[in-house]
Amino acid sequence: MKRHRLLFGGALLFVVASTLTGCGGHELRTIQARSALDAGQPRQAIEHINHQLGVDGDKDLPSDLTGDNALLVLDRGTVQQSLTQFKLSEQDFQASDKAIDMLDLAHNAGDSIGEYMFSGSSSRYVAPPYEKLLINTLNMINYLETGDLSGAKVEARRLAVIQRYIRDELKEANNSILGLGGFLAGFVYEKSGDADEALRWYDDALSFAGYGALSAAVRELAPRAGYKSPRIAKALAEEDAAAAASDDGADVICVVGYGRVPHKIPKRIPIGLALTLVADAIEPTNRRAADRLAAKGLVTWINYPTLAPDQGGYSVPTCTVDGKSIPMTEAVNVSAEVTAQWRKIEGKIILSAITRLVTRYAVGEGIEKVGGKGPLALLASLGTQATLTALDTPDTRSWETLPARVAIGRVRIAAGKHTVAAAARGVTRTQSIDVKRGGWATVSLQALR
Amino acid sequence: MLAAHLVVERDPMSLRTPLAAFTLGFFAFTSGCGRKEYVRGSQQPGIDSAAMSTGLDKQDIQQMLQENLNNLRMSPVMDTWRKGGGKTMVAVFPFSNETTEHIESQLAAILSEAETWLVESNAVTVVARDRQNQIIADIEGSRNAVFNPAHVAQYGKQLGAQYFLTGKVQTSDERTEDARRVQYFFFMQVIEIETGAIRWQHKAYVTKMVR
Repeated sequence: MKRHRLLFGGALLFVVASTLTGCGGHELRTIQARSALDAGQPRQAIEHINHQLGVDGDKDLPSDLTGDNALLVLDRGTVQQSLTQFKLSEQDFQASDKAIDMLDLAHNAGDSIGEYMFSGSSSRYVAPPYEKLLINTLNMINYLETGDLSGAKVEARRLAVIQRYIRDELKEANNSILGLGGFLAGFVYEKSGDADEALRWYDDALSFAGYGALSAAVRELAPRAGYKSPRIAKALAEEDAAAAASDDGADVICVVGYGRVPHKIPKRIPIGLALTLVADAIEPTNRRAADRLAAKGLVTWINYPTLAPDQGGYSVPTCTVDGKSIPMTEAVNVSAEVTAQWRKIEGKIILSAITRLVTRYAVGEGIEKVGGKGPLALLASLGTQATLTALDTPDTRSWETLPARVAIGRVRIAAGKHTVAAAARGVTRTQSIDVKRGGWATVSLQALR
Repeated sequence: MLAAHLVVERDPMSLRTPLAAFTLGFFAFTSGCGRKEYVRGSQQPGIDSAAMSTGLDKQDIQQMLQENLNNLRMSPVMDTWRKGGGKTMVAVFPFSNETTEHIESQLAAILSEAETWLVESNAVTVVARDRQNQIIADIEGSRNAVFNPAHVAQYGKQLGAQYFLTGKVQTSDERTEDARRVQYFFFMQVIEIETGAIRWQHKAYVTKMVR
């Protein structure tokens, strides 16, 4: 009877654990795409992502977007933007925006059980705040590139909803992504003729960076708007604001994303080191169990995700109009946001990895006790522990193709035909534009290497 | 944490409890998997009733249009048009999307439905959409050939229209930890081109939610 229970228990654990964990972490699914981006081959990167998604072409979406495929579609959206396939990038960002939102809303207690018992990657993906904000921010660039102010305004409104949610529900008032989002959304409303809404967004942008390029726009908008704030008043007081404005031209904004944010990689560390790292946070019962394991010297490694180095930190992006440089300002350091967010949860991640180790040990010990002192029980115990260890996949899911940093510039030029050239990290884009008096254009570059 | 601690301290004979929990968990995680199939609306009448997203679907469009057009049917401006014997020229201009959803294709469907309703009413002559787009492109320039409400007088003059029908959809979009609710406000109006006066206006509401 005991043996039957033992075998049943072992078999059930194996089936459950196999179901809840994948063959490898997310970073293994994307390694080829990242390598292609490193080699400056975004076209190949998209093909690798399409292969992982199981679709034939860039415009196809997978039939199932309810799981981690949503992340791959996000990755593809960024690469499509870097290839100036703006309509396809719009489609990817829109689809993944809804899918990520659904995943977030569907998060439940079962995910926590999976995370603490089987593997960090067995729970549903919950996008961190900076990813949620960047979906709408980067998609705004797509609509601006195609001259679609109506579509860009939809993204700006969606950004505002998420901004409110992050501020009111998650209690994170200051997220530097809003510096870039505010700049772009302000531009969208400025060009739509809504001065108040434009100033409200520019006010948000001014709270995160200097944005000297905004003072001329603020000066033009202020007489037409009722919106006031100390930052707007300060921008109005800047001496060079008046000189930059000229009524008979058109506005060009240049957006350059470069490098790539640190993605998550799996890391194995000895249980003793892990206990040292989380010494203050671990519960006494788990600590005693972990200490016993450390003393045993058997199966005493924990797997947990950590951040790889970011890329592109020392690059200098440039943008010119007819050969004349536009002053570029760093709008957002996405890598810093990723790292800061990671620091907040790193301890919890290590703790749950230790908990899983203790659980594996406990399950193995239980099987050994049920089976008695015989060799079969010992084998079943070790086998179960080894199986659960092998299936404990660190959660390496994240939006990996995000640019590490985004720089932005704005300039007023004479109406007519011009050539805009943007460059960063050895990637260049040259774009001809034809702007009317009072018109506008947006040129972007994503150098994701 | 608690779960791990409990297993360590339990009597091994009570392994049935965690095993039962694993079994329940297993079915909870794997339920819902199954093959997809295509179905035809005519064979499954309820197919249109389920909400698939927080966007606008056929049922929402019909509900909002019905409310507004029923009101237009009874309005004084419609009486004026009927007295004109169907000779009053009316243009149907794009409905603006002021929502948090990309509903441009649904708005185009609303526009077409409203246009069809006007034509079938026989109370007015409706200006062809191709002709309108051409006039808009002439006035706005080919690069940004989008309808600009500030220039309706110019459009009307060139089209020979006396009235235009237009509208807008706005939303109140709210998000909490476990729900997102989108409330739609759909406004339609008839404007007299010569005076710029609003001769009729009505609104309808629809709410969609994911939780």
